[in-house]
Amino acid sequence: MLFIQLALNGLALGAAYALVALGFVLILNATRAVNFAQGDLVVTGGFIGAALASQLPVPGFVLLPFVMAAMAGVGLCVSALAYWPIRSRPPVSVFITTIAVGIILQNGLNGVFGPEPRTAPALLPGANFEILGLAISRQSLAIICVAALLIAGQLYLTNHTQVGRAMRATAQDRDMAAALGIPVARMVALTFAAAAALAGVAGLLLANQFFVTPTDGTNFIIKAYIAVVIGGWGRIGGALAGAMLIALFETLVSAWIDYTVATGLLYAAVLTILFVRPSGIFGEVEGRRA
Amino acid sequence: MAWLLRGVNLPLSAAAAVLILWSLVSSDSYSLRLLTTAGVFAIAVLGYQFIFGYAGALSLAQGTFFGIGAYTTGIIGSQLGWGFEATFALSLAFPVLLAILVAAPVLRLDSHYFALATLGIGQVVLLIAINWQSVTGGANGIPGVPGISVFAIDVPRGWPLLMFVWGLAILAATIAWLAIRGITGHAFALMRSDPLAAMAVGIDIRRLRFKAFLISALLAGAAGALHVHTNRVISPDALEFHIMVAILAMTVVGGRTHIAGAFVGALLLTHLAEWFRFLEHYYLLAYGILLLLMVVAAPWGLVGTAERLRERLLPERAPPPPQPSPIRLAAKPVSGLEIRGLKKRFGGVRALDGIDLEVQPGEILGVFGPNGCGKTTLINIVTGLEAADEGEIRWAGRPIDGVTTDASARAGITRTFQKTRLLEDLTALDNVAVGRWEGGKGPRVGVARQQAMGLLNELDATDAAMIPARNLPQGVRRRVEIARALAARPSLLLLDEPATGLNEGERQALAETIERIAQQGLTLVVVDHDFAFLSEFAHRMVCLDHGTIVAAGTLEEVQHHPAVKSVFLGGPSSPKGARELND
Repeated sequence: MLFIQLALNGLALGAAYALVALGFVLILNATRAVNFAQGDLVVTGGFIGAALASQLPVPGFVLLPFVMAAMAGVGLCVSALAYWPIRSRPPVSVFITTIAVGIILQNGLNGVFGPEPRTAPALLPGANFEILGLAISRQSLAIICVAALLIAGQLYLTNHTQVGRAMRATAQDRDMAAALGIPVARMVALTFAAAAALAGVAGLLLANQFFVTPTDGTNFIIKAYIAVVIGGWGRIGGALAGAMLIALFETLVSAWIDYTVATGLLYAAVLTILFVRPSGIFGEVEGRRA
Repeated sequence: MAWLLRGVNLPLSAAAAVLILWSLVSSDSYSLRLLTTAGVFAIAVLGYQFIFGYAGALSLAQGTFFGIGAYTTGIIGSQLGWGFEATFALSLAFPVLLAILVAAPVLRLDSHYFALATLGIGQVVLLIAINWQSVTGGANGIPGVPGISVFAIDVPRGWPLLMFVWGLAILAATIAWLAIRGITGHAFALMRSDPLAAMAVGIDIRRLRFKAFLISALLAGAAGALHVHTNRVISPDALEFHIMVAILAMTVVGGRTHIAGAFVGALLLTHLAEWFRFLEHYYLLAYGILLLLMVVAAPWGLVGTAERLRERLLPERAPPPPQPSPIRLAAKPVSGLEIRGLKKRFGGVRALDGIDLEVQPGEILGVFGPNGCGKTTLINIVTGLEAADEGEIRWAGRPIDGVTTDASARAGITRTFQKTRLLEDLTALDNVAVGRWEGGKGPRVGVARQQAMGLLNELDATDAAMIPARNLPQGVRRRVEIARALAARPSLLLLDEPATGLNEGERQALAETIERIAQQGLTLVVVDHDFAFLSEFAHRMVCLDHGTIVAAGTLEEVQHHPAVKSVFLGGPSSPKGARELND
């Protein structure tokens, strides 16, 4: 019984990690750039939710569209400042500018809200319910459901719609995509806006379940990054599986041994995977050439 | 005197003089302490320039190496009471040991994986520092770290410590200067901007990156040790990500490949943090904004930007080209290139479908065929850029399949590329001189340049010598690239479509040049789709189509071969008929 309870908790945490990883993969697939600020965008979403809630005492699902809209705006700013001006430089440049964006967000939030942990309202008001002696939190269920919806939506978007095709074309060869009449600038802006909106959702959900502090972003981005590497660079399904795997691992090992040991083992496992299978457990979307 | 007028040496020297004067005048303990901190970080940045600047790999472990150096000195100095000589040596050794340990899995990875892996290592070390309380003092750390005392001479805070730190910083800068001057610097530049071209002239990227990683760890450890002697306390703060961010920002602001940039970046950002003290801990906000602005607007850093400005506003006259000196090519091997049953497929496409080929030592073989017939794949496999699915390749009697591109270049097989791959900012002369690197065992830069000049003469590109590659026309670029491939002293040279993008006159001239360089006993394989061009110099011809050899022999034999006609003129029997003819 304890195991099932733990697994459920792990599943909720995994869904949260998956949401972070999802935005990361979205930008990766559209621009081939690593967005190191994705974790800080999540925290920003959480703080926006907390700030709104302190003004309007309404349940989370009412706040959700506002948080998403605000975050989409933040995403547009990030793309305009940290990606678009350096789009033709090596991808490592974007890595560095997004590190900078992350620092700005982290310390900006710290300056405005202070370092104390904040909480956002639950998506749906009400108490937890019990099934077969298992305490199931509504928020955990909400996280899992929302994550599942968004993941399905993103898979559908990238694989089955014209917009998704245009996005993938933009990632593969921006000049060629432009030559084919794809509005590349708009695609990139859209991608960043969507990734930031996703981060907003993740932030709102996480801020209720686990609290957020301004410096949490680094932890989220590392977990998302690991999920994406384990799952195969650029694979949505792989990132999802990776996120679940590390969250379950973390929850179970911390329950039985210790959180520090869990984290240490996790990094050791990642380094081993990188060493043995540099393209991830499920392989990369597309091989890199020598 | 002439040195002062070169590049941006004059403003840099003036700035250094002002800094020294200013520190003499306003020598309160606070500003001395700031300058000391700047010196400490300058050492860490000098190290970071090796891995992030010269080798071009985004490591996020520099802060970790810094912290390990700090903890080593902090723990051993305060708990065991050992002197500076021992603690400093260990503070250098431990980060380097960790770097060696993690380098195996980490260094062969591409940029983003390398960044993640180095970040992960940092997280593990930080966890250990916080949780191993009996040794590290946990989250509170350990106070009471002693000051520096070298051979029983105390170095108290204030002026003595400042001089000591800056003395070591200048020593580190000298080491860095010695390590990257001359051809090595160019080899690093080629490797970070075009790894393929670097491997093709025999540069062992992994080894070079490994060395850069170790030097970065060494200098970070030194900086960490000095940091803890300055602060007299060791805590997990020394391992936190903000140290990494500070080092990264200093490197980017100063200039990632300029030694002076390390000092400019460290001095500027250390003081910037103080000017923004009113933001309390959020001075990092200023670092973030500055980092973003610099990467977007001036990625070459302040020193690099100054150099560019000087070049534009007050261009220096190019120095005269060096005296040419001859270079002896490798000896002709006893046996040539033998290829048996070579197969390569990409997904469903058979790029090479059973190639058997022999090239005698000293022979020029022309390989032609339509686009997509497998010509470039053949060169890529012979030079180790791609692995064959089946078959064997021997050069000079030794099997060469599975040999990496850089190793095969050092063993005497070099190549050029379809699209020329030169370092655009470097002169033609230096582009060729990189080929003389020979794994760091090549001649000194002066000799290498003279030999490069000799090669440029031989290739009729004498006038291009002192012109940056970006300003050279296509025909000359080809010649420079061939000269670079020759500089690595090959016995087998493969040219991939050398006539592409050249006009009729340039083609004719290039054909004559190729014929001339082959007379030194070089074995040549030239791939092109232009039969007329190849027939100017080739001893023998091979026609490829759909991954198989459809015709081989002398010029006349191949020219009148029915399969060749059907390949180029089309016809009912092509390509299936062509393949039947081959069988």
